[in-house]
Amino acid sequence: MPARASRPFLALLLTLLLIGPAPVSPAERPHAPPFYAIRNARIVPVSGPVIENGTIVLANGLITALGANVAIPPEAWVIDGKGLTVYPGLIDALTNLGLQAAAPAAATAVTTIEQALEQARRQPISQGPEDRPGTTPWESAADNLKLDDKRLESWRKAGFTAVVSAPDRGIFPGQAALIHTAGERANELVVKTPVALRMNLAPVGGFFSFPGSLMGVLSYIQQVFLDTARYTQAWATYEASARGLERPNYDRTLEPIRQAVANRWPVLIPATWAKEIHRALALAVQAGVNPILYGAHQGYEVADVLAARNVPVLVSLKWPEKDKDADPEAEEPLRVLRFRDRAPSTPAVLAKAGVKFAFYSDGIANPADILKNAKKAVDAGLAADAALRALTLSAAEIYGVADRLGSLEPGKIANLVVADGDLFAEKTKVKMVFIDGRKYEVREPSRPTEPPTVNLTGKWTITVNTPQGPQESTADLKMAEDGTLSGTLTGPRGTASLTTGWVSGNKFSFTVSIPMGPRTLDATYTGSVEGNKMTGTVSLGPMSVDFTGTRPQEEN
Amino acid sequence: MKRNHPNTGGTGLWPVLFIVFLAFGPPARAAHAQNPTVTVIQNATILTVTQGTIEKGSILIRDGKIAAVGRSVRVPAGATVIDATRHFVSPGIIDCHSHIAVDGGVNEGSIAVSSMVGIEEVIDPADIDIYRDLAGGVTSANVLHGSANPIGGKNAVIKLRWGKDAKGLLFAGAPPGIKFALGENPKRSNFQPPPGFPRRYPNTRMGVMDVIRQAFSEAREYRKRWQDYNRRKTAGEKNLIPPARDLKLEPLVEILEGKRLVHAHCYRADEILQLIRLAEEFGFKVATFQHVLEGYKVAKEIAAHGAGASTFSDWWAYKVEAYDAIPYNAALMTQKGVVVSINSDSAEEARHLNQEAAKTMKFGGLSETEALKLVTLNPAKQLRIDNRVGSIEVGKDADLVIWDKHPLSVYAVAQKVLIDGQVYFDRQKDIAQRAAIEKEKKALLEKEKPKKEEKKPEEKKPSATTQSPAEVQP
Amino acid sequence: MNRRRFFLLTLSLALLLTAAPAFAQTYAIRGAKIYTLAGPPIENGTVVISNGKITAVGRTVAIPSGAQVINASGLQVYPGLFDSVSRLGLTEIGAVSATVDTNELGDYNPHLLAATAVHPASEHIPVARANGITHAVAAPAGGVMSGQGSAIHLTGWTIEEMSIAPSLALVLNWPTVQTQTFDFATFTVRRRPFTEVKKEYDEKIAQLEDWLEAARHYAQATEKGAADKFERDLKLEALARLVRGQLPVLVMANDHRDIKNAVEFAEKHKLKIIIAGGAEAWKVKDLLKQKNIPVILRPTQSLPGEEDDPYDKPFTNPGELHAAGVKIAFATFDSSDSRTLPYEAANAVPYGLPWEEALKAITLYPAQILGLADKLGTIEVGKLANLIVTDGDPLEIKTQVRHLFIKGQLTSTDNRHQQLWEKYRARP
Repeated sequence: MPARASRPFLALLLTLLLIGPAPVSPAERPHAPPFYAIRNARIVPVSGPVIENGTIVLANGLITALGANVAIPPEAWVIDGKGLTVYPGLIDALTNLGLQAAAPAAATAVTTIEQALEQARRQPISQGPEDRPGTTPWESAADNLKLDDKRLESWRKAGFTAVVSAPDRGIFPGQAALIHTAGERANELVVKTPVALRMNLAPVGGFFSFPGSLMGVLSYIQQVFLDTARYTQAWATYEASARGLERPNYDRTLEPIRQAVANRWPVLIPATWAKEIHRALALAVQAGVNPILYGAHQGYEVADVLAARNVPVLVSLKWPEKDKDADPEAEEPLRVLRFRDRAPSTPAVLAKAGVKFAFYSDGIANPADILKNAKKAVDAGLAADAALRALTLSAAEIYGVADRLGSLEPGKIANLVVADGDLFAEKTKVKMVFIDGRKYEVREPSRPTEPPTVNLTGKWTITVNTPQGPQESTADLKMAEDGTLSGTLTGPRGTASLTTGWVSGNKFSFTVSIPMGPRTLDATYTGSVEGNKMTGTVSLGPMSVDFTGTRPQEEN
Repeated sequence: MKRNHPNTGGTGLWPVLFIVFLAFGPPARAAHAQNPTVTVIQNATILTVTQGTIEKGSILIRDGKIAAVGRSVRVPAGATVIDATRHFVSPGIIDCHSHIAVDGGVNEGSIAVSSMVGIEEVIDPADIDIYRDLAGGVTSANVLHGSANPIGGKNAVIKLRWGKDAKGLLFAGAPPGIKFALGENPKRSNFQPPPGFPRRYPNTRMGVMDVIRQAFSEAREYRKRWQDYNRRKTAGEKNLIPPARDLKLEPLVEILEGKRLVHAHCYRADEILQLIRLAEEFGFKVATFQHVLEGYKVAKEIAAHGAGASTFSDWWAYKVEAYDAIPYNAALMTQKGVVVSINSDSAEEARHLNQEAAKTMKFGGLSETEALKLVTLNPAKQLRIDNRVGSIEVGKDADLVIWDKHPLSVYAVAQKVLIDGQVYFDRQKDIAQRAAIEKEKKALLEKEKPKKEEKKPEEKKPSATTQSPAEVQP
Repeated sequence: MNRRRFFLLTLSLALLLTAAPAFAQTYAIRGAKIYTLAGPPIENGTVVISNGKITAVGRTVAIPSGAQVINASGLQVYPGLFDSVSRLGLTEIGAVSATVDTNELGDYNPHLLAATAVHPASEHIPVARANGITHAVAAPAGGVMSGQGSAIHLTGWTIEEMSIAPSLALVLNWPTVQTQTFDFATFTVRRRPFTEVKKEYDEKIAQLEDWLEAARHYAQATEKGAADKFERDLKLEALARLVRGQLPVLVMANDHRDIKNAVEFAEKHKLKIIIAGGAEAWKVKDLLKQKNIPVILRPTQSLPGEEDDPYDKPFTNPGELHAAGVKIAFATFDSSDSRTLPYEAANAVPYGLPWEEALKAITLYPAQILGLADKLGTIEVGKLANLIVTDGDPLEIKTQVRHLFIKGQLTSTDNRHQQLWEKYRARP
């Protein structure tokens, strides 16, 4: 789930949306001839041995050659790859990039019966499986892509050239597509669709609407697949000899599920804890589908089962962590502490057991954190090349597109990420990516070079003076010695990570990305600091509003 | 408030109905089973329940089953010996009404008939209440759907094999069952949605019976549709489209065919009688009446129907239909020929079902054996697992509790609990490992703490701003 | 049969009582083992009761002429059991709000008295009595200051006949910092940000302090004879007694942090504090000992608070507190369950609480904690004759209460349950 916009942002955004949407169309780009060669680079094909000093040639969107001694065709634009490493473009194996972000309806926790009723009233009531609650399998990610989702760009800048994007609301939210993170028209982004049917197991009802329990969801799914089997059989019988037979009804719910079963589409089933993995496997058998499990943080307990069943797994890189604003005295069970400790070891355990797995971002807001978190799996015992594979070729294999994506091989789509070092090293920067053989430079945002004279590390209470009145949020900032800022911004109902941030002298700037309705918007806070006070403005598109911040003195 | 009063009593409705168990993982407390195949418990006072009390007796356990019981049992070579001098051994306690170990809600409360859902699919093996109840001597439990619907979901009979996964908890071979509920809960007397919000049928005891009757009428039709289809198919008819399978009606057909046990939550005498008559109308038997707090008023009719009664020891007055509840209920029904058990309906109450059983000696004058049966053999009979558990007899599963005092004493503490001959709870080991749990927690928390701003001497690491960008030239 | 004889005896006693004249009786309980709790048990002793009080107790005691003699040989005599936090008289049927008088609206009702609402005809009272509970505190609930608990005898035609002390202690529900909250939208437990919850907590405590300050102000103005200068305020009048130390505060708190905060708060404001609940009191037992603060424990038959707590924590808690030197009592905090009071004490015994301490914790100690030990809690000359005659250990389940005295009156153990039992036992 993407981090939800906190209240101040919502207030601002509401204002913003009233004056009209900000123009966030993709910038007009020149069309260079589609021929490139990168030479003198370290090339990591993933599917084969590393080429320490080689050349890779791209033409018309495909990789045409790579190796230590490769002739560079005259039409190629040559890039000197000295000091650079070329990888296959990274793949984020499950996202909702390019799709409507989750509606902010549930931005506030519902804690009273009254609120629950209010919310329940607004939803259609389902009185049983026949009402098909939370079931929209006809929804296709590929048909609903919005290019103005800023995350496409930020993912691309972090080295992700392709992602699997899937609708995510309901029990059968719809069909996933494998898409590129750049392209001029939505349809150009689509590499393959559908690549999977997605399933969720969270109850969509409540006390008034079916299903209101996990067991309700599970029985509902089972019923849907039984209905599908009969639907399939009924139509087959009817098509074989229509005369004299009652015509079965067309059913837009069952039709795509029928296709999924008939064409062996993989089905994405969530499963984080071991018991959920067992449950998901049983569900897949019951439904007669090929599962891809996603989540899998406790996979370290059941790797053997997964291996024996030959089930691919998407490991969420959003590792479990202690709640941000937790009661400092609240006791956490050993079970949970162990889980948090061991979750990052899951990839290593899966690798050892021979389970096919890929990584996905699972709502991580800042794409830089994706690689950082993949590194944690490496720290917990996963070989670095296996981690890379989980971000490239394995994802392609799991979704059945390894013939075109996932590694650097002649004939495959020219999706590349070019970095100035090892991808998993903290200081490494992505310099450019290629998608369909087109080059996208990654430029450093400009920032002043003056070293910081203040230290912004700490918890800041930020008050934004919105037209609706002051709104409070908390910025938990960490400043590196060079002035680079990281951290989070937390409103009453949500937390977003900083995407960029710096301090120079006593000036600072940081940006958070807020998924909001159909798009993600950047809120940039700029200002200056005096001691434990900051003042400045926060800008959102064309809007800007003043804010102040204070840093209460740390205790002890 | 003290205990979790029976599912959905009055103001207790919301908390209980809305309890959603969080998704969680492996047990912090390690399972104790060391997998010995032959074990002998020696020098114990053995309360067999069916064959009297054996002083200074022994129990031989082989491959999870009781192989011998008596004064003189030879200890085979290599057997694990448990000395139970001055201790008592009873059959494992069976809780005929539990809601432990369930993930994602015990009620599918949205609909009046929720027979399509099943507890078995959502068993949570990491629920700490499994361990807590085990430590109270419970070895088997009838895990039931909640009481929000006239016809509720399917049950799961489990053994409290703490440390096993969900499948490993299931009581293999226990006949499947289902929850029914009558009276205030399914008609939602104590939970009225505010005006403007649709109310769910039924709203009266008339409606409750109507929902059940309607469902069984549908189930009969459904069975007939399938019978017709199968007949025509067998007759070689071509181009047949099978009837739709209906997960809601299939369990009801099983009830009609005597393949699924009905566990009916009920309170008032009249509703008990109504369900008996409805069951007779459709030709099935109610396996157990649950709670059945006014069962003593119609004990004769319950006994004649052949249903069991599974009740509370002494809860009363939490709602109108519990106002005539009396602690003599279990004893009186027993004396009138009903197979009676005492259940918990609560993870807490399950920890001392032995004490709850003892209350029937005080209220109604049951004998020790009769009292003990209420939480051992009788619930086993009610769940149709008495060929496997419920008493200490040769051939039965070695599900046993070793107590330091007579289990009907308020001072008795379970020392060891065995399931299938394996020790799943050992009080001394539990006490011994407490420090280790604390230590591990401390270590994990320590490990998690953000490293103290590693004051590494920033060895010539150039800051990002001064780093020269790699040459990127055509 | 033993049971049957017992029943007939009870019945005849009941008949006797109904016919009994209203004047006080003299009784002699003879030949019993007497657990006075003021000294070692007296074998084959006699207790003489007259005018509602114990007038003699001992091995060789003269039985006054005209005394009704109860031959209790083979039986045991104990002080009557005291359910020191209960809802007796305040609720009849939990789900029917019309019958429930425990929770008033509003957060601050320090002036309300439970005794005002005690229903002498509640069926719960004889049910509790049948198991040896002779007196109890009816305590209100809800809000921050729920009102004042009232000590009552479990018999009487009117509240005036029942009353021991109408204003015994102020019930204060300590505001708790609870980040876990149930989300009705997703049907899951959600966590609220700590800072937000803590802020609410701080606000509540500030509000509490404002009330106390106002009460001190009010008390001072009243003491200085300025009462005619301002309007009488019933709430502040009640709180004035609190801040003057005339009324103890019964703080409902289970979480160790809440207990600690409450203790500090009480110290700061010089309140006489009793902790009620005390599920996690074991975590702060040294503090409780050091400040000499007693705890009325909620039922031992509870689940541990934390997943990793030892499974037997609720059972060991009383023993740990006792060993640390903290004075404890047990209570049911309930009405229909009040009869289970002896078992709540009993369940602590195998886990480290000495038997006699468990017994005292439902007789003498609650009387001491609530300032009633001059009247109740032991079998001593001069104390109110609230006592029970049993056929065994009153903490053991199968033990029957054979006779029961409240205010020196032999009181029936008949009750609704027994009546229904008899009625339906006889159904052909």
